[in-house]
Amino acid sequence: MAINRLTREQVFRNLASSESGLAEDEAQKRFFEFGPNEIAEVRKTSLLIRFPGQFTHFLAVLLWLGAGLAFLSECLHPGEGMTSLGFAIVGVIIINAVFAFIQEYRAERSLEKLKLLLPFSVRVIRDGKEKEMPVRDLVPGDLIILSEGDKVPADARLVSSAFLTVNNAPLTGESEAVLLRHDPDDEELTSSRNIAFAGATVTSGSGRAVVFATGMRTEFGRIAHLTGAVSAGLTPLQKEIVKTTRLIAFLAAMVGIVFFVIGYFIGRSFWENFIFAIGVIVALVPEGMLPTVTLSLAMGSQRMAGRKALIKALNSVETLGSVTVICTDKTGTLTQNKMEVKQLWSDGKTGGPEGLRYSDKLIETAYLCNNAKRIDGQYKGDPTDIALLKAAGEVVVVPVQERIYEIPFDPERKRMTTVNKAEKGSVVFSKGAPESILPLCRRILVNGTGIPMDEEHKEAAMDAYNALTGRGLRVLAFAYKDRKEGAAADIVPGEIEKDMTLAGLIGLEDPPRPEVYGAVRKCRGAGIKIIMITGDGSRTAAAVALEIGLVHGGPDILQGHELEMMSDNVLRERLSESDLVFARMTPKHKLRIVSLLKEMGECVAVTGDGVNDAPALKKADIGIAMGISGTDVAKEAAEMILLDDNFATIVNAVEEGRAIYENIRKFINYFFTSNVAELIPYMVYVLFRVPLPLTIMQVLAVDLGTDMLPGLALGAERPAGDLMVRPPRGPKERLLNFKNLSLVFLLLGPIEAAAGLFGFFLVMESGGWHRGELLSAGNALYRQATTACLTGIVLAQVANVFVCRSFREPLSGIGFLSNKLILAGIAFELVLQFFIVYHPWGNAIFSTHPIPAVIWLWLLPFALLLFAAGEVRKLIAKRLRTDQVVSV
Amino acid sequence: MYKGVLAAVNEHVNSESSARYALALAKACNAKIIICFIAGKDMPQSCCSRAEDAVARLFNEAKAAGIPAESLIKTGDPVEEIAGIARREGINIVFASTRREDVERRFYAGTLARRLSLDLPCSVALVRSVHMGRLHPGRILVPLKARIAHVKERAYFAGKLAEGFHSRVVVFHAPKPITGFFHGEIHLKPVEWEERVPADVSAFMGQLRKYKVAFESKLSPGAASKGITLEAAAKRHDLIIMGASERSMPASFLKGNPVEDVLRATPCNLIILKARHGN
Repeated sequence: MAINRLTREQVFRNLASSESGLAEDEAQKRFFEFGPNEIAEVRKTSLLIRFPGQFTHFLAVLLWLGAGLAFLSECLHPGEGMTSLGFAIVGVIIINAVFAFIQEYRAERSLEKLKLLLPFSVRVIRDGKEKEMPVRDLVPGDLIILSEGDKVPADARLVSSAFLTVNNAPLTGESEAVLLRHDPDDEELTSSRNIAFAGATVTSGSGRAVVFATGMRTEFGRIAHLTGAVSAGLTPLQKEIVKTTRLIAFLAAMVGIVFFVIGYFIGRSFWENFIFAIGVIVALVPEGMLPTVTLSLAMGSQRMAGRKALIKALNSVETLGSVTVICTDKTGTLTQNKMEVKQLWSDGKTGGPEGLRYSDKLIETAYLCNNAKRIDGQYKGDPTDIALLKAAGEVVVVPVQERIYEIPFDPERKRMTTVNKAEKGSVVFSKGAPESILPLCRRILVNGTGIPMDEEHKEAAMDAYNALTGRGLRVLAFAYKDRKEGAAADIVPGEIEKDMTLAGLIGLEDPPRPEVYGAVRKCRGAGIKIIMITGDGSRTAAAVALEIGLVHGGPDILQGHELEMMSDNVLRERLSESDLVFARMTPKHKLRIVSLLKEMGECVAVTGDGVNDAPALKKADIGIAMGISGTDVAKEAAEMILLDDNFATIVNAVEEGRAIYENIRKFINYFFTSNVAELIPYMVYVLFRVPLPLTIMQVLAVDLGTDMLPGLALGAERPAGDLMVRPPRGPKERLLNFKNLSLVFLLLGPIEAAAGLFGFFLVMESGGWHRGELLSAGNALYRQATTACLTGIVLAQVANVFVCRSFREPLSGIGFLSNKLILAGIAFELVLQFFIVYHPWGNAIFSTHPIPAVIWLWLLPFALLLFAAGEVRKLIAKRLRTDQVVSV
Repeated sequence: MYKGVLAAVNEHVNSESSARYALALAKACNAKIIICFIAGKDMPQSCCSRAEDAVARLFNEAKAAGIPAESLIKTGDPVEEIAGIARREGINIVFASTRREDVERRFYAGTLARRLSLDLPCSVALVRSVHMGRLHPGRILVPLKARIAHVKERAYFAGKLAEGFHSRVVVFHAPKPITGFFHGEIHLKPVEWEERVPADVSAFMGQLRKYKVAFESKLSPGAASKGITLEAAAKRHDLIIMGASERSMPASFLKGNPVEDVLRATPCNLIILKARHGN
């Protein structure tokens, strides 16, 4: 039988314990058997193993191969400068590994924060004696003593209690204290009222309990286990980068092999083919891509922080842009978390809060059956209590009546009751959910007097309740009873709530945040589904959902208890419906909803603030913690922290995330154009038996030098105007798609290559070179020609950066000066190119030679041609899109 | 299938917890149960007393539940003695508890639990009891790999335990994720995964249907041991029933051993069944 259903004697027998607790030697045996009572880390791959993994993926292996070939060729043909190339490639591998690791690495401290919620010592009875000992030494069967202020150290079954109330917030998210008892309970273990769970705080009373689960086997440990072990997997961007690098690596390998074979058949020497193989690898691999992606994400996270969304893991910056579903809390996120009394019903009349003035008993109950306090002009306590205290305090001064007894609010009973001293005897006040209060009432207040409540009165009360909830108000019922007895000793807990008089109903509202309506509309336009998950009742949830535009017409409401009865398949079907709202939910349901949505292929963002939200936050593609109301554990588990707890901030961050993905795509196009331009000279070298027009070090000068800052500046492009009216990108949409590849391989790349080759042959021909003549690597003419080739590519890249600023909009549409970083990037690119061409150090490192200014002028038209081609393509594409829209 | 059940008890509290699963199985199978304690030669008297008390308690519980029961207390080598009893009394399955010490030493030194699972002539259920508040399982998780031996016996065991406790069974399979060279991991929807349920898993579910056991199935691609412990923790399962590992020591070193991993990190009680009945 479950531990909560056992009698006190059965509990001791099943756990082989007794009233005197465990014997020390038995406790030691159990300690050895069950281990220490502590939160342990789930075993994970260590950083020492994860970091080397960055050096062994497919692309890295290809680069290692390139480096190996470079070193080998230095052995075969010393003095060709291949050693420095080998080291340069190794440098690229290390840089890429470090940047990839920075993206992946995230300090994990959520378990550390969880551990802080457990106490350090506990009072326990062993061998019949009470002693204080470290919590770590607690074992199943130990008899522990709980009193006010204690933190519960392990899951334990109560065997005696005296008005013991605990706050289970770390486990349930419910901030109200719960009254525990020691009798057998037929409820589920987790909702049982005779179990004290680890991590809970004793708010009042005292009790004794027998420990039945310790450490990671407690409910608290379960959350820790899930928080530590659950992972969202690779982010969409990481997956795309894996796919892209594999595609590039495959292309590089194929091109290398095919042209190696061609070279062999047309009589090229092994050495020439060898150079070619290395060159192809280096030319096709965008060495600067990973560092640029990382820096671009870092810049994105800075921009998001400026919009009150603090990003903890760099990869999550882009993940937001892929989000297809946002599961959001209601209170505080969609609403302002500022409860206000809006309507009340008393004496058969409905009215505004000023009506409190005319209902003494209603105001008294609202004021005295209330745990909020006003200290130094500041209200402290539960938002509902504060709203009632404010409303009551504003209309009348309620005499102070000493509270002599209290039954705290209990989510199961859905009410709280106090007994306060009165002039004659005492008064019982109750407030709570109408379905909890109405059955207690035998009388109703009419014209200031309590009269017997008949069916008509009950019907009127229910009608008023429905009318108030229909307006989206949270409705509480208030009842009272006069007692002759004035002493606390006379109180019989089971009796005081009987035969009460209904004083009235009060409807409270937590108004939606004003900016939420617009944010919800924006999400709809962007094809993002919003699922509201709230602990409130279905009517309140529906009204709020309607008010903020989340649903239109009758929402589809699913309540917590219905969800628990559903199989995964049925719940999946419901999750695919639109206008779905979850009401009466607890945080434990979130993980299931998030898991199922992910199984359905959705990219899920979820909000959370409580300790037990942590697993769902970890499981989601992006977990979003509340910066103001969130616990430390939730903040540690999340990837993003909302500094203002505002739903609209999530939507802003999604927009920023989408922009970042667009920008990454832009600079990948930009890098690939130069890669094609670097590859074509190698093909010419193999196929037409000419000297190599571009050396491998010059390829690296472009990929890791001149391209870097303009590429990074593309990462700072502002979001396009239509970004949030497009649907989220599909799972099959690639970072490098056919459209982009054809643009790069068939239009932009060839023009750029033509610029480079034109420069090369212009210098060679004007220097007296004739076809078939081979020049040594140190020959000045040859060096000058390769420098011209490099300059042609760099100049064309200057034009290309403007083309890549937008896939759709011509430059005139986005503004020449709208991204000043681009201009700074181009300035850097040109200064670096001047250094490479004209400075002796640049000449020495990159085997270049100064070229006359006239060569630059000859190359300039190619840059203009590339710019014109790119812009004309956009205009044609825009025209075609317009035609399509017209024909539709 | 099970007409005789033996529960091995010792001085440790978890052996008593483990024996309660044997009681439930014996009751569901209308089998007789032998509750035995084999005292080692040098065992201190206090330990013997504890074990004897446990035997007495369990015997009384069996009688109260109307299960034909017998209690035995002997001295000697536990494995040899239990093997002897199993042969003489026609025992079909032996329940023994596996301890934390066993989990840590498992492959590196011969433990009693390991010897029992290897040397007994009948099926062996090794129970790792980590949660003393969940001895009455409401939800039982049964992880299965793609190819399983003794399908009928395993389904019978899980089905009868579920019947004994009126529990709900969740059949769990963690298939290998599908990957493509250019696509990385390919995401399949649950419906698509269900079309790929291995034949042995289907056969197992067919057997459960035959025994009229209420169950649901769950497929979660990924690492088996992590998937099992996460599923057990997330859905608050009270008991996991796994088949014994068939991996050799070198294979376990190279490929890992999901049974060993779950044994170490299980969030709830765990039974590892070494089935010996033919299909």
